[in-house]
Amino acid sequence: MNSEIIISLEHVTKRYKVGDGDFTALSDINLQFKKGEFAGLVGPSGSGKTTLLNIIGSLDSPTEGKAIVMGKNISALSHKESAMLRNYHIGFIFQVYNLMPVYTVFENVEFSLILQNKSAAERKKAVMESLDWVGIADMANKKPSKLSGGEGQRVAIARAMVKRPDILLADEPTANLDAKNAHAILQTMKALNKELNTTFLFSTHDEKVMGYLDRMIHLEDGKIREDEIIPHKLSV
Amino acid sequence: MIKFLITGILRDKNRSLLPIIIITIGVALTITLSGFMKGVLGDIVDQNAKYETGHVKIMTRAYKENKDQLPNDLCLLGVDEMIDSLQMRFPQTQWVKRIKFGGLIDVPDSKGNTKGQGPALGMALELFNNKSGEAERLNIESSIISGSMPQKSGGALIGFSFADKLGLQIGDTVTYFGTTMNGSMTFQNFVISGTVRFGTAALDKGTIIIDISDAQKVLDMMDGAGEILGYLNDGIYVDEKAKQMSDEFNALYKNSDDEFAPVMQRLKEQNNLAGYIDLVDTFSSLFVLIFVLAMSIVLWNTGLLGGLRRYQEFGIRLALGEDKGRIYRSNIYEAVLIGAIGSIIGSIIGLSVVYYLQVYGIDISGMLQNSSMMMPSIMRARFTTELLYIGFIPGLFAMVLGNMLSGIGIYKRETATLFKELEV
Repeated sequence: MNSEIIISLEHVTKRYKVGDGDFTALSDINLQFKKGEFAGLVGPSGSGKTTLLNIIGSLDSPTEGKAIVMGKNISALSHKESAMLRNYHIGFIFQVYNLMPVYTVFENVEFSLILQNKSAAERKKAVMESLDWVGIADMANKKPSKLSGGEGQRVAIARAMVKRPDILLADEPTANLDAKNAHAILQTMKALNKELNTTFLFSTHDEKVMGYLDRMIHLEDGKIREDEIIPHKLSV
Repeated sequence: MIKFLITGILRDKNRSLLPIIIITIGVALTITLSGFMKGVLGDIVDQNAKYETGHVKIMTRAYKENKDQLPNDLCLLGVDEMIDSLQMRFPQTQWVKRIKFGGLIDVPDSKGNTKGQGPALGMALELFNNKSGEAERLNIESSIISGSMPQKSGGALIGFSFADKLGLQIGDTVTYFGTTMNGSMTFQNFVISGTVRFGTAALDKGTIIIDISDAQKVLDMMDGAGEILGYLNDGIYVDEKAKQMSDEFNALYKNSDDEFAPVMQRLKEQNNLAGYIDLVDTFSSLFVLIFVLAMSIVLWNTGLLGGLRRYQEFGIRLALGEDKGRIYRSNIYEAVLIGAIGSIIGSIIGLSVVYYLQVYGIDISGMLQNSSMMMPSIMRARFTTELLYIGFIPGLFAMVLGNMLSGIGIYKRETATLFKELEV
């Protein structure tokens, strides 16, 4: 594994205004992630998992502390620079696949590359390669409504991976899948992690996901309870 | 990106169909009404210009003050010389002399006793002077429904409903009774050479048309005419040109105290046409403005609904790294595409209706039977180049404006809540 640190959180605190008072979603978080990690934020609802993903994904910024992602200080980025960081370096996988219904599988996956102003030929090559990774190249022309849950999530992975991001953030990616599909998806992600050296960071309380993680950060009430390196790994 | 947007528009009927229908209807209505108003206004102005006002008209000051009474005792004299001089000074205009006169038409029976009588509005034109272009200008030849143009002195054309009322046939002789310019009684026989239908009730039911030389003899107006009318050579009234000409002409006589000094009036200054033209222009502009506002409000709401429906899509695009400005701009591009499609379809429909109304028109002769207004009995639209953009631009503008307003919501969206929003 490459030892390059691509995510660094220093004393990160996030508070939200709630009525007249504040709600602390994250409190004094210090974490670092290296390139190629397969890590998860685990904990009950309200523990701060999604808030942390938001900050790492440059969708939100910390109230205090510093979040450095791909060498950029998230708090100092303009909206446009945040968008650029997401476009070129960060992929997202959501609990619901969130594919755009009027576009085909190919077009959904292609979209990130359109934003990067890639040529049509480059886009076609990258999209087909990405669909091939997740095993649905033959569904390129299908509409999302024709896909099963597992296929939809594979398209979401292909969409996230097509731009070869450095970081992939996944929020409960297996929550809507049956066990068989969940394992298949996780195995695909694990393989991509190995092959492309992409850092995967999950927010989950699904034990199936936890079984694949190399590192688990346990969050509770916005604080790190335990940062655990998992010695054993499931075979992929 | 454009291909991506077009694909979305074509596949997502909810995104495109309703706005396209709204714009199409609005644009088609705007073009149709505008073309129709312009056509009717143009016809009325044209009708007035041809029969009544010219593009400019020269009278004596005294005649101008009393022109409703057709005061030929206040007419212009030495008109042939004056026309020559006008032709030299304003060569871009064709000048013709006319006499309007009132009187009585008496129809005798075979014994010479009165069979019928009716009041007549006489119009004396340069019928025998081919260079005057009067017959073509008033479209007389094609307005003749029986008989033919007078070929010699003593011939007359008469309005077809006037002829019907008096029971006249082609070749019948009628007697005109009236007064000369000096106030003495005059009468003269005329042979009816034809009946005409001008399509204007006021003309068709009481007009007799004779050559001006006959009128000059009957009315003792040698080398005189009530009015000299000027028509711009290309046949289209341009107020700026007419004003320039009338200013120049009237300046020649501004220091004269003579009540018989000539005065030139342009079309817009006669028959209250200025108010009428301005009113129609105002209504035309008002209609376009109302259309733009109404369409914008409807399309704003459509945009808001579309924004709600596409909330998830915009969220995904933000998460994937598209910035808010780009999403907003892409919405505007979509609006331009949809607006252009709707506006093109609306323009085609509107222009087709205008073309149909220009060719066939709407017959309102039934409503004008007792009218003395100088207006055509078939209301027609007019196809002008202005119609190519008068609906298109507002259609496009309304769609873009509606989307610009509704799209502001994109900037208010918090990316921090995207994960939660996209979980649903």
